Amino acid sequence: MNHMQKATERAGRSKPRRRWLIHLFPLPALLVYAAFVIYPIFSAFTYSLYDWEGISRKGFAGFQNFVTLFTVEPFNEMFWNAIKHNLVYFIVEMVVQNGIAFGLAYVIYRKIRGSGVLKAAYFLPRLLSVIIVGFLWKLILNPNFGALNALLTHLGLEAWARPWLGDPNTALMTIILINCWFGIGFAVLIFLAGLQSIPEELVEAARLDGASGLTLLRKIILPLVMPSVTIMTILTFIQAFEAFELIYAMEGSQGEPFRSTDTLAVYFYRLAFGGPSGTGSVAIGLGSALSVILFFIVASVSAISVFLLRKKEIQH
Amino acid sequence: MKTSVGARSLQYLFAYLFGLIAIYPIFLMIVSSFKTNAEILAAPLSLPASFGFESYVSLWESVPFADFFWNSVFVSVVSVLLILLFSALAAFYLARYSFKWNGLLYFFFLIGLMIPIKLGIVPLFLLMKQLGLLNSLWSLILINTAGGIPISVFILTGFFRTLPVQLEEAARIDGCNDFQVFWRVLLPLIRPALGTVMIINFIQAWNDFFFPLIFIQEDVKKTIPAGMLSLFGEYETDWSMLFAGLTLSALPMIIVFLLASKQFMEGLTAGAVK
Amino acid sequence: MKKKRVSVFLSTLLVASALLGACSSNTSSPDTGSQGGKENLGSQGNQEQVVLSMHSWRVEDGDGYKKIIKEFEQTNPGVKIEFKAFKSTEYNTILNTALQGDSGPDIMQLRPYQAGMSLADSGYLEPLDSVPGINHFAPDVLKAATAKDGKVYGVPLSLNSTQIYYNKKMFVDQGIQEPKTWDELLQTAKALKDKGVTPFAFGAKEAWLLSLSHGVIAPAEYGGNEFVDKVQKGEANFLSPEFKKSIEQMKELAPYFPDNFVGLDQNDTRALFATEKAAMYIHGSFDLDPMHKLNPNLDVDFFTLQGQDGNPLITTWVDGSWGVNAKSPHKEAALKFMEFMATQKFGEMFANEFKRISAVPGVKVDDPLVNKMAERTEKNATPYLILVYFGEGNPTTKAELENSLQGMYLDKMTPDQVAETVQKSAESWFAPFKK
Repeated sequence: MNHMQKATERAGRSKPRRRWLIHLFPLPALLVYAAFVIYPIFSAFTYSLYDWEGISRKGFAGFQNFVTLFTVEPFNEMFWNAIKHNLVYFIVEMVVQNGIAFGLAYVIYRKIRGSGVLKAAYFLPRLLSVIIVGFLWKLILNPNFGALNALLTHLGLEAWARPWLGDPNTALMTIILINCWFGIGFAVLIFLAGLQSIPEELVEAARLDGASGLTLLRKIILPLVMPSVTIMTILTFIQAFEAFELIYAMEGSQGEPFRSTDTLAVYFYRLAFGGPSGTGSVAIGLGSALSVILFFIVASVSAISVFLLRKKEIQH
Repeated sequence: MKTSVGARSLQYLFAYLFGLIAIYPIFLMIVSSFKTNAEILAAPLSLPASFGFESYVSLWESVPFADFFWNSVFVSVVSVLLILLFSALAAFYLARYSFKWNGLLYFFFLIGLMIPIKLGIVPLFLLMKQLGLLNSLWSLILINTAGGIPISVFILTGFFRTLPVQLEEAARIDGCNDFQVFWRVLLPLIRPALGTVMIINFIQAWNDFFFPLIFIQEDVKKTIPAGMLSLFGEYETDWSMLFAGLTLSALPMIIVFLLASKQFMEGLTAGAVK
Repeated sequence: MKKKRVSVFLSTLLVASALLGACSSNTSSPDTGSQGGKENLGSQGNQEQVVLSMHSWRVEDGDGYKKIIKEFEQTNPGVKIEFKAFKSTEYNTILNTALQGDSGPDIMQLRPYQAGMSLADSGYLEPLDSVPGINHFAPDVLKAATAKDGKVYGVPLSLNSTQIYYNKKMFVDQGIQEPKTWDELLQTAKALKDKGVTPFAFGAKEAWLLSLSHGVIAPAEYGGNEFVDKVQKGEANFLSPEFKKSIEQMKELAPYFPDNFVGLDQNDTRALFATEKAAMYIHGSFDLDPMHKLNPNLDVDFFTLQGQDGNPLITTWVDGSWGVNAKSPHKEAALKFMEFMATQKFGEMFANEFKRISAVPGVKVDDPLVNKMAERTEKNATPYLILVYFGEGNPTTKAELENSLQGMYLDKMTPDQVAETVQKSAESWFAPFKK
């Protein structure tokens, strides 16, 4: 008791002397971050309130750009077309990437020979630059000389061979699946970390009670890995709504074919930097308005989910 | 509880099938780079008839790859070190003190998680110009550092919060000041989380191509992805050369990963789910 | 504890050394890029030496330009020009960002017509009306580099023509003649297909090639320059039957395209044609050189379809011109280079180096095929309508045509819907169509 009192006294005494110094701690991060992230993005947001002619700024326009984006054809059509693809992106990533990743993580968690090698293998694609991923898959998926169609023919599945990236029925799905290939290793590691943090005794006790594999999974394991599932969900959402680089690398700024792979970020790029190969028209005001909307979608959804996550954790 | 042999072999099949799917395209890329163009087009799946390094030789002659490589190393390493230092300081402040503005500050950092910095490219360009950093690797370091701070602060703050208060109190009793508590006591304890932050940001910095494209004009100052992009434009039809370029760009990262894959993956998740 | 202190010390040292090392290496290497270079040069004391930066999207032309620039530098000892090319798809992103940041190159390649001239409308380009030699260019050619204010902002570089290339040997082997009309073209395609030869190396993956191909096929159907004049007066538009018919013709060609053509891009189709796997190939004059690089022994010729007067029409436009940054600190030197680019000498060097038609009048090339294009262009040219006149709107009317043609080949749109989409887009800004 005496010792504790002394401690708090001493700590209390030393505080006022140096207290101001502690405020220097967050300063470097704050300065760099404010200068090179917050300032540029928010000044770009203000562009949405102006009229633009090409790349030069004209008069103040109020919310006209936002109104145009939602009421004038073809801008509104392209907006809904793009956001639909973002949603599909999110759903497929959740089901395919995160679904398979959870399965793989669970198999590894239940002990499997060569788990180290497997984890490394799943993660390998994540190391590549998206530019490299895009180019590599473009070569593999080439309708005439590509390896995938050659492989299908080899396996006697010639009827399945198709121009994967040129057919609007398959293009978006193909790109999302490539993204799953790219991101699955990361998801496996996150889920695995979640699984491994479950207290051993809990699982053991349930087993002794005679719980079958499925009951164990549903009653004990799933509820306890919810935090990592939520994290992956939020990350997947952000990623799906900002999907750009892979589509740009494989289908260009038009979201070809026939805008079947267009997303909000690709649409933004097209408005802000011009159409095909930059030979089209630039609409910086509209592009900035779109970026503001994109920000609010992502920010509000992730804020809500973080809030719900927090609440759940507290209940635990 | 025993799993039946059937279920067990299904699990093995599932796990190894996806392992194969993950690796095969990369394997194909490396193998193809040793084939001639005609060989790739005629038999995309076969192994090379003989190992030819011609593509690598002509690649080496047509781009300053060594420059690209060192630029990438310099930019990534310095960015990661700055991110670690700055984010840890900020996270310590956010997690271990309860000033009334801390909630707001935390939220302020989180905003960065939700916006792609690309949206601000024009103001960012003007800023770099005013700082005289165009065509300098420091523009990339600054942008990587700033861009990496939100996720890093997020992870490290979570981790700092999990550490018991007693440690810090004990250190203060021993006469440590704020900085000493941070540097000597808490920082070593969050090493796993620092590993996570390091790896996430290293991959990000190494692979970024957009900012080098806009900020860097001289070839010898480009990083690997940006430098290779112009090569891809120039040799669009030479598949052997393309595969060699892809392999060469991916190889440094793959080698580092294979040498330290265990630490890599442990580090990656240690701090992520806290 | 001791071990940890050591590691902390080491990592601090690492940060510090990385910072220091970087700083010294950074300051010791002189900036030679476009932005950094200018300031340094002034301090050298030699006021004569000027370094100009010159940006282009032609990554494949770097070596050729270096030769041409050397020629200029020999007669202008005080000026040095650094040519730099960026991938075409990213060129405008980089250029626009740099211009907005007042850091654009001194000399830049401009996309033709409105796409490039919008930079002049925004005030980023220097007018070139007073550059000696600029008035030698044909008025039609200068139009590609004339902005809305009527001033000229670019020195035109080359004339592009589009045509149907064909493999001479394959035609001879199958006993087939050069077709002259649309009906003959269809018969030719059918005859080839019946004999098991792929008639066209054609892909729909890259939309810009669709409007380019339409530009080759359509003028013979809609009646060349007469229709173009009517469109400009508002007397005809994209819903006119002759235009609709030209879209339908594009669709009629589809059975003669290779398997999976919707997934083929420019590289694939060029490879098909150059490796003699297809007999015909619709493309621009600028593809002749890459085609020959792929197969130097390719025995190739071209044809175009007849206009109403029975002479073969050829679709042409002016390709990228060269302009000067209005904010360049070395305008004088840059203008000198512009003057050089308007000379006969530059035209000849350009034409022979790149096997293209120079925009400088009267320049001859040593390539018979390029000469044939140039001659036909002089005699019976018709503009690439959608590129020359419809590069405005957002998205541009040209982009709308490209996207909807792609939709047509994917069976998502009918030819009529294509025409309607294009007309609607044009009505949003094209004055003669506004009611």
